[in-house]
Amino acid sequence: MNPEKPLRRVGPTGLAVALGLLIAVLVGGVLVGAVGLAPGRVLAELVDRLPWVSVDSGLSRQEAAIIWDLRLPRLVLAALVGATLAAAGAAYQGVFRNPLADPYLLGVAAGAGLGATLGIVSAGAASPIVPGAAFAGAVGAVLLTYALGGVAGGGRAGTTLILAGVAVAAFFTAVQTFVQQRHADTVREVYSWILGRLSTVGWTEVGLLAPYAVVSVVLLLLHRRLLDVLAVGEEEAETLGVGAARVRLVVVLAATLGTAGAVAVGGLIGFVGLVVPHAVRLLAGTSYRVILPLSVLGGAAFLVAADLGARTILAPAEIPIGVITAFVGGPFFAVVLRTSRRGWGP
Amino acid sequence: MTGISARGIEVRYNGRPAVAGVDLEVAPGEWVVLVGPNGSGKTSLLRALAGTVAAVGEVEIGGRSRGILGRRRAARLVALVPQDPVLPGGMTAAEYVLLGRTPHLGYWAAEGAADRRMALAALERLDAASLAGRPLGALSGGERQRVVLARAVAQDSAVLLLDEPTASLDIGHQQQVLDLVEGLRQERSIAVLGALHDLTLAAQYADRLVLLARGRVVAEGPAAAVLTPEHLSLFSGARVVLLSGPGGELVVAPRREAPGEERGWGASARAGAEE
Amino acid sequence: MNRKALVPVAALALTASLALAACGEGPAAETAAPPAGTFPVEVEGTLIPAAPQRIVSAAASHTEILYAIEAGGQVVATDQFSDYPEEAAGTPKFDSFNLGVETVASFDPDLVILSFDPGDLQAGLAALGIPTLLLGPPVALEDVYGQIGALGQATGRIAEAERLIEEMTTAVEGVVTAIPAGAAITYYYELDPTLYSLTSRTFIGGLLARLGMQSIADAADDGSGYPQLSGEFILAADPDFILLADILCCGQSAASVAARPGWSSLAAVEAGRVVELDDDLAQRWGPRIVDLLREVAGAVHGGETG
Repeated sequence: MNPEKPLRRVGPTGLAVALGLLIAVLVGGVLVGAVGLAPGRVLAELVDRLPWVSVDSGLSRQEAAIIWDLRLPRLVLAALVGATLAAAGAAYQGVFRNPLADPYLLGVAAGAGLGATLGIVSAGAASPIVPGAAFAGAVGAVLLTYALGGVAGGGRAGTTLILAGVAVAAFFTAVQTFVQQRHADTVREVYSWILGRLSTVGWTEVGLLAPYAVVSVVLLLLHRRLLDVLAVGEEEAETLGVGAARVRLVVVLAATLGTAGAVAVGGLIGFVGLVVPHAVRLLAGTSYRVILPLSVLGGAAFLVAADLGARTILAPAEIPIGVITAFVGGPFFAVVLRTSRRGWGP
Repeated sequence: MTGISARGIEVRYNGRPAVAGVDLEVAPGEWVVLVGPNGSGKTSLLRALAGTVAAVGEVEIGGRSRGILGRRRAARLVALVPQDPVLPGGMTAAEYVLLGRTPHLGYWAAEGAADRRMALAALERLDAASLAGRPLGALSGGERQRVVLARAVAQDSAVLLLDEPTASLDIGHQQQVLDLVEGLRQERSIAVLGALHDLTLAAQYADRLVLLARGRVVAEGPAAAVLTPEHLSLFSGARVVLLSGPGGELVVAPRREAPGEERGWGASARAGAEE
Repeated sequence: MNRKALVPVAALALTASLALAACGEGPAAETAAPPAGTFPVEVEGTLIPAAPQRIVSAAASHTEILYAIEAGGQVVATDQFSDYPEEAAGTPKFDSFNLGVETVASFDPDLVILSFDPGDLQAGLAALGIPTLLLGPPVALEDVYGQIGALGQATGRIAEAERLIEEMTTAVEGVVTAIPAGAAITYYYELDPTLYSLTSRTFIGGLLARLGMQSIADAADDGSGYPQLSGEFILAADPDFILLADILCCGQSAASVAARPGWSSLAAVEAGRVVELDDDLAQRWGPRIVDLLREVAGAVHGGETG
């Protein structure tokens, strides 16, 4: 028997399929939008940018601006956000051995929401301090969760941390609601931020997120083997020489960095971090060596596709992207529920 | 040559002592079996030696304190086969056994071809090579237990801690596993400390028995010295008869009460002692 | 009618009425002529027994109209947004978002003017015997004149109301006739930074249509008259003018609009054809509608108009 065979890795087929899917969705995203542009001209415009190639695409200046300043940065950002959230979700599912874990587990969503609310209330939704405040809120919430989880005893075991996260999230949400009540005229802006949108982003936002996203995803990918080790529980991992608490800390920090960045730029986009790793698990097995890389690619593709839907279904109006992901996530979970009954579990 | 020694081990759960002061030593190549009634502290003692539970006392591996060695180096030297292992249902047996190589890899390193060979070899030794590609959730209890042992074998440690390694196995596989451990012990001079509930097997394979009761060592030494009717009465009032096999090995056989015999926990032990 | 002859006549009339109006303003307004008109009178279905002396106005638009028809001395309380004219800013304030019967009744009014009913407010006040006038947002300029007339009747300032309507009609006429004939000018009217706009069949849209302007949102109307547009749509439509009505509320400006990704390619941005409107002017439907019209006309067609 081939000794390599029983050990599943991301085979070239799996990677090729995921990468192909991502590329297809990206191309679709460039060609399709609220305004119909002839595909041939769009491709010509793109090709024109290649070095040493000069092609006249026949697009007007505004149409070219649509491609380069509106659609492309949006696609790239959607891909970055999707990849980051999916990687964080998969990593959390591995590190907490909980299939319902998602990137917002330790209070990140509530913290970002509170930060954004405070920013919007004090400086208006268009102010550049709002993303910064959301980022700070997200990171602050996780730090508070860790502090609380340690204080409560139990040596920061996984469940203690999750419970601390629930407490922190509840508290931050309460404060946010209170602040919102006092400033009722900003409710619409805050709500629209929470639903998530990628509609007013340009290359600046891409530049803001990219370093956090890259660092986060790379760190998480490096930990995929350790996540498999953690699958046998903290105690046994200890006997195999792996300190569960330390791995968890690094994973949480890396995931939080990426998630906070994604949320600061795109609002609270849900279900990506939950649904994509599950889908990958159903299709490709339970090893995190496979789940993590495929989640990164799958998350990017998923969110690019969702963004495409957000800006074309009710064109020219935009559906908040969080609504699209929720519409997909809900039914998807029903499917997962049915198929998991015959499965072995995580 | 690496053995393991423990001094003054105490383990408490919520203030209740599970292990109340135990000194123990297993030399390289020695096979010590822990016996004792339920709740006597066998599992807690093994966990304390493996470093997975908070304990008072000193544990030295190969003469060096566990604290100084650090988690990874200690894991290279000591392998634990737990009583209730966590078996992720979707993981294949081969992947699971490969986890045993973890202490020998760097933090972010991946396994190499040598590691994969060792994993598969471990499976073969436990007569489980055919299970390699199957998910753990699809295996029977006995198959799972062999896979868990294979992981410990793949870990290639100098000390092996076993917590009821034969509990779900049929009699043939029980012997196979214990013979395997015996083989490893001789090949690699592994120090083996195992907890067994089957007293006959314990007697047959151990160099030395250690009898635990209520968290303390009650008796220590060769099987005949430890497995006396008086000591056996500690096993929840068991009724046994001690026999001698054809080769002189000790057999502890359960004895069913005869009609008219006095019932009760204490009386049966006395009755056995009179034989 | 000879249009050319009408212009100087209109200008004369306008100047005369402006002079008259100027005389009417200032601190002397408090001691203006007492309200005329017959009472009791039924206005918009509400019976007003006597000339009201304690009016509560819950909308800034109505406040401005009241002061413009010299009923300011009869006003005792206004909402927090009623900041024009200056005298109105000095009246006691209440929160129009949290308007309850008790709050209104605490001013002991004899007439309450609302732009919307938050829920049983009219019924509650009626139970207390306080007459209310519900004058909702207008759909066209004629509705504004109608509201001015109604308020004139209700406050006994009929002559002043008629004069105001006359002034406004003339002023609007003046602005409109000065517009050079030509192809429609397209515009994008921004209500907030999430790109909500309005179509030509809304109140503001109708006003701007008189200036020969057409909203690019007409193509995207979802039935509400206030569709949300997307960046792509606006870029593709490339409007001649951009009108910003979210300067005060949401911190937008010609500079912030130009900084949006892709918007620098718009002809309007490049040529500096981005008009920053006063939020208040753009949202209220009082006598200052004329000012809004003048401002837009001036920006769009240049030079002096009206």
